[in-house]
Amino acid sequence: MLKTGMATALARFSGWGTAGLLVKAIVAAVIADALLLGFILLRRAYRNRYFAERDARVFEFRRNWKALISGQIPYGTWRTNHVARQIVEDMALDAYEAAGPEESLRLLNFLRASGLVAKRILEARNHQGWRRRQALVLLGRTRAPEGIPALGEGLRDKDQETRLAALRGLGRMASPQAGQEILHWVGESGVRVPALPLQSALIQCCAERPGLLLPYIRHGDKAVREIIGRVLGEIATPAMGEDLLEFAGDDLDELRAAVARALSHARSDLELETLGELARDTVWFVRLRAVVSLGKLQAPSAIPFLLRGLTDSNRLVRLRAAEALMNFQTEMTAVFRQAIALQDLYGLHAYLTALENAGLEKQLEAELESARWTDKEEAEKLLNVLHTRKLPMELPGFAQHAPLRTAARP
Amino acid sequence: MIHFLEIANRILFHYYLACNLAYLVMLIIALKTSAEHQHGLRSSPAGWLKDTPLAPPVTILTPAHNEEKSIRVSVRNMLDLDYPELEVIVINDGSTDGTLRELREEFQLRPVRVVYVPQVPCARVREFYRSRVDPRLLVVDKNSAGSKADAVNAGLNAATSPYVCVVDADSVLERDALLRIMQPVLSDPKRVVCVGGIVRVVNGSEIAAGRLRRVRLPRKGIEVIQVVEYLRAFLIGREAWARANMMTIISGAFGLFRTDIVRSVGGYRAAAIGEDFDLVVRMHRHLLERKADYHIQFVPDPVCWTEVPADLHSLGRQRARWQKGLLDALWRSRDMLFRRRYGRIGWFALPYAWLFELISPVVELGGFVTIGLAIWAGVLSREFFIQFLVFGYAFATVISIGAVLQEELTYKRYNDWQDVVRLLSYCFLEHFPYRQMHMFWRLKGMVQYFRGDLAWNAPKRQGLRTTAVH
Repeated sequence: MLKTGMATALARFSGWGTAGLLVKAIVAAVIADALLLGFILLRRAYRNRYFAERDARVFEFRRNWKALISGQIPYGTWRTNHVARQIVEDMALDAYEAAGPEESLRLLNFLRASGLVAKRILEARNHQGWRRRQALVLLGRTRAPEGIPALGEGLRDKDQETRLAALRGLGRMASPQAGQEILHWVGESGVRVPALPLQSALIQCCAERPGLLLPYIRHGDKAVREIIGRVLGEIATPAMGEDLLEFAGDDLDELRAAVARALSHARSDLELETLGELARDTVWFVRLRAVVSLGKLQAPSAIPFLLRGLTDSNRLVRLRAAEALMNFQTEMTAVFRQAIALQDLYGLHAYLTALENAGLEKQLEAELESARWTDKEEAEKLLNVLHTRKLPMELPGFAQHAPLRTAARP
Repeated sequence: MIHFLEIANRILFHYYLACNLAYLVMLIIALKTSAEHQHGLRSSPAGWLKDTPLAPPVTILTPAHNEEKSIRVSVRNMLDLDYPELEVIVINDGSTDGTLRELREEFQLRPVRVVYVPQVPCARVREFYRSRVDPRLLVVDKNSAGSKADAVNAGLNAATSPYVCVVDADSVLERDALLRIMQPVLSDPKRVVCVGGIVRVVNGSEIAAGRLRRVRLPRKGIEVIQVVEYLRAFLIGREAWARANMMTIISGAFGLFRTDIVRSVGGYRAAAIGEDFDLVVRMHRHLLERKADYHIQFVPDPVCWTEVPADLHSLGRQRARWQKGLLDALWRSRDMLFRRRYGRIGWFALPYAWLFELISPVVELGGFVTIGLAIWAGVLSREFFIQFLVFGYAFATVISIGAVLQEELTYKRYNDWQDVVRLLSYCFLEHFPYRQMHMFWRLKGMVQYFRGDLAWNAPKRQGLRTTAVH
């Protein structure tokens, strides 16, 4: 039967000839043109009508907003209609994001009482694909703690986009419980999403309790430790100082870098010393983070480490060290003198660049020219360096400042 | 002679059919990809990146050569972009007009010394300036070497971020442009090495304070035809090629690159005429030779709006230049053709570019001659010829309307009925005589290339200062 059909079709096809084929092709192309045109124009007309009706409904709901969220207007009048429900949910969630604590509570009560939260939980659990993803994102926007288990289930979906939606939803919750759910999942299945969304969600959720991260850094695999270490670097508090020191000698570069970043709150000498050690690390980005943290400390005791950063083999480290040195405006002349004593042209250029970028060149010039400066000859030489950007062959009184050698020049 | 004409006409027929069928396949792929992208946007809005402290820094590189009319607006526009870690480097490429003066006045520039490591070759840099009002802005004033590529290289040497985004000075970016173009990178930072953004036509739209306020179609037919062309090229072509990881071009008007990779291929080739195509092909070569697992992505969201030529003369020069650039880049990469180590780029993307992009003006214009001769010699029936013309016209129109449909289904930026009707009308009108003129310009570009005329021929700009560009 099939064979006969095909034979007939082939016979008919060959019977058309080239010209016949062309005519058919013209007809097909013209029909396709007409269909596409018709579709575009009809769709436009339909959408215009749809949005006009939608706008009218939005206006109506906005007019009766207070009655709507207080339940005076029975939920049943809008909940069963898909479009109306979507409008109300969008309006409530938009208002919720901008609301203060009291209003937030009222809106959350409304979302619960009207069944919108329960509906999204149900959808997040039972739907698949983009419907599930949408439900997960909206559930996250409600910030209702009862949604956390459903979001946690979303993390275990086989589709990465769905996992990401669940992760973003949990991130929106911004609560330690949500953070625990994410950490539990990471501990159980490893890193199954791109790093940045995971880190962002953890930053949002663990900011209040960064200690939640520590067990996973201690016992997680390499990828988990790297990612969570970076999060710790962002949200660590001064109170965590001792815990952080534990990871300063870790084999993982990312983790040492995270510790260097986290120690920007360093208070004790030991912490400062550790930061100084990290500023001599063999890995450039660890040194970079350490130098940035040393700059944030704004403590004079950080100056020797920052001066050493000026001689670093990596240009970013040199630049950041120079920028950090601009924070010590009262010590500017002394720092400049030390920067010259390093006898490192790249370091000197980095320092002078930072000086110019901070608009402090004139101030330094004035200081060097001022009466406070007693050694006129040395002042002349320093001014000369400032103007020519060239290292002096010899500078009196500089012998005692032996050039600091950078620990690492990978 | 008659035998030759018969073969030539048969080749032309099959060539035309294959070309349009290829576009039809790309249209279907693009429609599917766009639908997936739209669903993805619902669950992963670009906005989340705005608030994260972990967003990788991005440097925008904007070469500017005689852009005094638009430079204030476009730089302000770039500084206003939503992105947490942003640096903007404007490279004044030996402008002879008031570009630098405009920048000095608007952004209170002061000379600074920056650490500048000439890792990629470029002409001498005269001075660096940093803005007093916004320290994220750095201006590199350099001698002109007569090419945009050289200017971008200077910016590349001064950039300090792991990603650079090259943006034309006459382009307007939407506020979330960087957030959107960074999405593929953040989804897969290890594999994604560059991302192309969509470029749309700004002519006719309303701009206020560096922002696009209302999207309208331009008034002139020649500009509207370019709107259709851009929709077809980006929403169908790029979308489909990117899906197969075979993009060979990232528009010079808006593209994001990993800084280390661009530096490792030596930056843009200063002598390249089509520097955007040339760079991407060299990146493919570099990465494929190292057996790297990489991806070149495309973001179809409408985020970059650029001015297109408004007169035939400028348009002709632009298209001739594009063709020269294509020929130049393809010729230099000819050793990649059909070589196993270059995989799908060597087997599909580059042969496609040779066959359906580079030689199409030769085939089409040559086809007119052979068809004319064949009719004259009585080898080809007039009836068949007319039928073939009608078929070609209707088929090509399906592709153009398909591009408008893609825009309608997804981004829908032209809201006025009048605009849509005009856009659809030009899907029918672009095939005659514009298409033939276009082919002629491209053929002219090839002839110029073979004669050694490799001048840059900067297009005439109207500028973005006014509220509406017509």
